[in-house]
Amino acid sequence: MIQIQHLAKAFALTKDHKLSDSEKADVRFGGTLFHSVRDVSFNCAAGEVLGLLGPNGAGKTTTLRMLSTALQPDRGSVLIDGKDVLKNPLEARKRLGFLSSSTGLYGRLTARENIAYFGRLHGMTETALNNRIEQLFSLLSMDEFANRRADNMSTGMKQKTAIARAVVHSPKVVVLDEPTTGLDIMTVQTVLDFIQSLKAQGTPVIFSTHHLDEVAALCDRVVVINQGISAFDGSLTEFRQLSATGDLRQAFLQTLAQEQA
Amino acid sequence: MWQVYLKELTELLRDKKTLLFVILLPVLIFPVLFGIMGLVMSNVSRQAEAEEHRYVIINAEKAPQFADALFYHKNFKRMTTELRDPAALKQAIRDNQFDLAIVIPADFNPAADNLQQSKWQLIHNSSSQLDMISKHFTELLQNYSKGLQQAKLTGLGVSVDSIAALLEPVAVEKINTAESRENVGELIGGWIAYLLVPLCLAGASYPAMDIGAGEKERGTLETLLICPIARTSIVLGKFLTVLTTGLVAAAITVISFGGWGYLIGSLAGVDIVEKAMSTLGLLDLALILALLIPLTATLAAVLLSLSIYARSYKEAQNYIGPLTMVVFMPLVVSILPGIELNWKLALVPVLNVALGIKELVKGTIDYSLLGLILVSTLLLAGAMIAFCVSWFQREKVLFR
Repeated sequence: MIQIQHLAKAFALTKDHKLSDSEKADVRFGGTLFHSVRDVSFNCAAGEVLGLLGPNGAGKTTTLRMLSTALQPDRGSVLIDGKDVLKNPLEARKRLGFLSSSTGLYGRLTARENIAYFGRLHGMTETALNNRIEQLFSLLSMDEFANRRADNMSTGMKQKTAIARAVVHSPKVVVLDEPTTGLDIMTVQTVLDFIQSLKAQGTPVIFSTHHLDEVAALCDRVVVINQGISAFDGSLTEFRQLSATGDLRQAFLQTLAQEQA
Repeated sequence: MWQVYLKELTELLRDKKTLLFVILLPVLIFPVLFGIMGLVMSNVSRQAEAEEHRYVIINAEKAPQFADALFYHKNFKRMTTELRDPAALKQAIRDNQFDLAIVIPADFNPAADNLQQSKWQLIHNSSSQLDMISKHFTELLQNYSKGLQQAKLTGLGVSVDSIAALLEPVAVEKINTAESRENVGELIGGWIAYLLVPLCLAGASYPAMDIGAGEKERGTLETLLICPIARTSIVLGKFLTVLTTGLVAAAITVISFGGWGYLIGSLAGVDIVEKAMSTLGLLDLALILALLIPLTATLAAVLLSLSIYARSYKEAQNYIGPLTMVVFMPLVVSILPGIELNWKLALVPVLNVALGIKELVKGTIDYSLLGLILVSTLLLAGAMIAFCVSWFQREKVLFR
């Protein structure tokens, strides 16, 4: 169970940053600060998959980075199973798995070494680590390239390795930032199957995406972020009802239009 | 921290570029480069020594002894010319008809009784760095003048014994108190620092770029940051990696220089390197290392800070380029003649270590100054590491 309440984060603007016309229209630019995320709240229960939608630059990545403790929020709270992430980030990180489409691997390490490195950083014992790696390799059918260096892998192999790396420590919550962007159809399917398997295990998944078909196929809940504010938070069914035809694209545009008004 | 350190080292060891910068460059390329440079230099000066200069001499019959000496000198070859006017002779030299012209005045008479100075002219192009023409000519003229002096003084009734006293009233015998080590140390001590410090920098630069900016560029940094390990541990693990490669590069260079020096020395019979190596005690080597470690730590911390700030590998290179210049400046100062280690210079970063190494090689180190260098460099290293650690905590730096 994850609860996120009133998250906010501002970034300082550099002095030589000239605002473009579209930026001037953005309400989030104020003085020397850019209020990237202003007020984001949502919940995600066990076994739920939550889809995070929003236009480019809406604040999705910043929200997920705060959630994963990479960035520190200015305001608000993040609770995982009732425990405050911000007060004890080291403890929270043990419960979190994180993956994005731009996440890379260490090219000169093999698949096994990449995964083992992060397992050790998560404090796993060698026995537990080896067992877990064997388990993940057969789950994701990775045995044939287990000892191949990441530099010599195909995109699909890399993404499988990245997935295994993200969940090597059996996280309680998995956060995915646009995990399918820029991947080919086969690799996208690997990622979607992986989300499905997490859902089956009862692990809550929060993922941001631009692909509404993925939302339709996987998500139980939908959150729309627009200009740093969570503009919609509800079940997939409630989201569909925003449009007369039940079309997700229409529902999304409807949410943005309401927000503008 | 050690997990990070071990992983970074493993990854670097598998990288061909690291091997090139940290191992191959110091082992092979530097000695080969210096070997070739030495060979070219010695060839050029040997050629200059052996070169034949074409000369013309005007009014040679007035100073036959000098003309003969010139004629029989192995580096001079006589030419004939009808020209007499200095301007015309100058033009002829420019036109490459001959290399030098000596004009003896028509009224010159070595046997004359009157004591008057005679003015000769030497016309040649003296722009070459190795001006061998002047050198040979001056030697010949000195010999000739000496003969004339003796003849004239004898003519004036000065006894042969007194001539030396008259020409050179005071003769000085120079006794050098410097041990041979001091001389050798003065000669090569500065250069040792000049080589070692940039090698530490070169050995540290590439890994610093790879594990700072490289990690950002590959998209692995964010994953690393959300591991349940303190950011201080991550940055210290990375820092130790950079420090290690910098020191390893320097150590390999010293060993390879020793090896090459010994090899060349024993083959060519040049024992200056061997002599320098044998006079350096283990304590001196340990002290040189003790000076290099905090300096390399400082450089490693600065390099890592620059690298982690950069968005990409290329940007990191842009920052590290000027840093190299900043490090070279004090090194150049350290090999300038007349720069000696003192209390003030012992506080100037990089320069102090370079001068300290020079003094250690010479065997003339003042241990209180050495202590000051060590303390100031350690303080600087500590400050830079602290800066690097706090720099690594900033979101502005990590997520630019």
